[in-house]
Amino acid sequence: MHAVDDVSLEIEEGAIIGLIGPNGAGKTTLVNLVTGYLRSQAGSIRLVSSGGTIELARRPPHAIAGFGIARTFQTLRLYRNLTAMENVMIGMHPRRRDDTLQRLIPLAPLLRDEDKRLEEASNLLQRVGLDPDRDGDRRASTLSYGDQRRLEVARALALHPKLLILDEPAAGMNPAEKDRVRALIQQLNAGGLTVLLIDHDMRLVMGVCQRIAVLNFGRKIAEGSPATVSDDPAVITAYLGSQAQKSAAHVPGSEEMDIVGEKAPLATTEPAMPLLEVKDLAVAYGAIQAVRGVSFGVAKGEIVALIGANGAGKSTILNTLSGLLRPRAGVARFAELDLTTAPPDRIVRQGLVQVPEGREILARLTIRENLELGAWARRDVRAAHREIEGLMEQFPILGQRRDLPAGQLSGGEQQILAIARGLLARPRLLLLDEPSLGLAPQMVDTVFEVIQRIHNEGVTILLVEQNALRALEIADRAYVVETGRILLSGTGSALRRNPEVQKAYLGG
Amino acid sequence: MDFFIQLFTNPIGFYNQHELLIAQIGINAILAISIFVTFYSGQLTLANAGFMAIGAYTTVIMSLYLPTPLPLDMLIGAVLAALIGFLVGLPVLRLRGVFLAIATIGFVEALRLGVILNVPITGEGQGLKNPSADPLGGIVPILASLPVLAYLVWRLTQSRLGQAWSAIREDELAASSNGINVPVYKMIAFVIGALIAGYAGALETHINFFVDPTEYGIGRTIQILTFAVVGGTTNVLGPIVGAVFLTALPEIVRGFAAYRDVVNGIILILVIIFRPQGIVGRGGLAFIRPRWWTRWRAPERPASAH
Repeated sequence: MHAVDDVSLEIEEGAIIGLIGPNGAGKTTLVNLVTGYLRSQAGSIRLVSSGGTIELARRPPHAIAGFGIARTFQTLRLYRNLTAMENVMIGMHPRRRDDTLQRLIPLAPLLRDEDKRLEEASNLLQRVGLDPDRDGDRRASTLSYGDQRRLEVARALALHPKLLILDEPAAGMNPAEKDRVRALIQQLNAGGLTVLLIDHDMRLVMGVCQRIAVLNFGRKIAEGSPATVSDDPAVITAYLGSQAQKSAAHVPGSEEMDIVGEKAPLATTEPAMPLLEVKDLAVAYGAIQAVRGVSFGVAKGEIVALIGANGAGKSTILNTLSGLLRPRAGVARFAELDLTTAPPDRIVRQGLVQVPEGREILARLTIRENLELGAWARRDVRAAHREIEGLMEQFPILGQRRDLPAGQLSGGEQQILAIARGLLARPRLLLLDEPSLGLAPQMVDTVFEVIQRIHNEGVTILLVEQNALRALEIADRAYVVETGRILLSGTGSALRRNPEVQKAYLGG
Repeated sequence: MDFFIQLFTNPIGFYNQHELLIAQIGINAILAISIFVTFYSGQLTLANAGFMAIGAYTTVIMSLYLPTPLPLDMLIGAVLAALIGFLVGLPVLRLRGVFLAIATIGFVEALRLGVILNVPITGEGQGLKNPSADPLGGIVPILASLPVLAYLVWRLTQSRLGQAWSAIREDELAASSNGINVPVYKMIAFVIGALIAGYAGALETHINFFVDPTEYGIGRTIQILTFAVVGGTTNVLGPIVGAVFLTALPEIVRGFAAYRDVVNGIILILVIIFRPQGIVGRGGLAFIRPRWWTRWRAPERPASAH
């Protein structure tokens, strides 16, 4: 199989180049080739600098990093048990003078060296938008998803790279956060850094890149300025999709301008007979209060969305409802079940099923085995098997590849598999945590269609989503979560028209 | 209880009475340091007993046949262990996790069954009598080496080298993206571990009259591993505490001495269940810290939107 086939790409010094394409197009494979994690069967990769030309193909990753090529990883690869500061300081490794022998006898000049590194690390944290005082000593794994992405960028910058390769730096971020990523990239570029950017967010890629290359099935199908690429019919069919074109063209507020002016009233009607009822829920990780008194409800047959920035506590709320975390205070009831004390397996058996963030499919098991695990808790084995067959018919993406390892599916297909797996537990309430995370625009459409379809079949849905616009489109009601509290609530359309929400989450 | 009463009321008498125990604690603590080095770099290697055997046999064979001074014999024993560590590391360090563990156990057994039991100069199954044994004088270099080694390894973990080890332990792939030459740093850790284990083996011959091939099998390796697991591997004190605790335990609870392995097994299970990070967890002896400690260390700051 050819993952990347006969691709040529030139990156001029000082440029910002975008690389886009559907999930599974070979973008990350290309990055892995350039950074030495994979070896190509043919072709060459050259780094041209004032000192001469260096052939990078067949060199190990650490040597390539030593030449000044830094990268981030699509699937986060932080040193999870080390602090944020330590993560950044390790990024300085190739530049750090080897002090191993001198360290054996502590000398003052070495300590000064260390102080300098600490100061630089804290500057880098600040630069990417982390607070060194608050986050510096926290273990990387305790940071929110978006903060972990930022930390990875800081770690890559610590290398003082000539070329920075960002593999989906804005995945899982809301538009306001994405704007900050864009500002950061532009600021770094102004300082002389060359950037290769891979992302699915068209506003970000189109807004920041001078030139964009599009991959599909391992081949380059288009290259050019953002305008030429976005008008290219091949790119539209392969990648952008009709829906995304609409939302890429969507200038927030344009069609809704008239309504914004009169400030739409926020409906705050809570359901009278909620299926899920949450009252004053508070959750903490050690000393860190992640959720500070949250109350909301979900009635049978609704789609309810929780939107808000990374680290606001949305995933924490879902994990608490699933029984994976225990609250410090508050009430959470699902029908007659007390979610604050019930064990997770019992919660699932009662019909509250979570599809976790990042999908968490079992990559080495086949698609069918993944689905069978979804039906694990069920006693009616035959009916479950019929349902598995039914799902594989319903989602041909899964049915056609039933005996392949699930790891071979692209991101969007994996998300559909994760949702299908959740459905097999016969949910009365399905919790979806960031279903569109890391998906190409066309795939986002498919996933949201799937969500709507299963909702029409009678499943109640609680949705956490960074793509607030899409979430509010399908949600009956939504809550805006900010720093562990609910800031606003209302119907999906009312919130979509709310100027504050537009500014903060819809990229106004 | 008598054990502790004597330790505090009559330390000199305690020392005289328990000299062999103290020497053994010292040896085990040094072995614990040797496994700590490889653990710290994220490698589950269990070759320590093999390197110990190389250090021990080299020292004894040299004092049997060569007129060299004993310290030189011991030094050469340790260096030879490191050298063989390098050669063994070349193929073996490509492996990870449990495969690395099995390969290194294979090395230990191949060395013992294949080489030691078959080469006449090692006395084969009979073992070797050590002409320069000095059970009482041997304690001094052991107790002198322990703090020096602990200090040096602690400083190493603070250096650029140690930082690279941490990175490799946490995520090899990310480490290489940060410009860390993963194979080289793994090899350095493996060789330093072999050097320290070989040195411990050499020191141990000094307090025994006899080198016995049965001492250097899987059992010994697993014992060393237990020190690290029970003590914890986030800093060099962990394995040392584990070694001291587990070596002294049969003496403290004399009644259980016959069930030593059973007691060790139970302790191991309890630690793995209730304190997976070991007795000395991240940030010191966490279990003796009062409850308010963490709050005092990390005062809650108002979380702001970002």
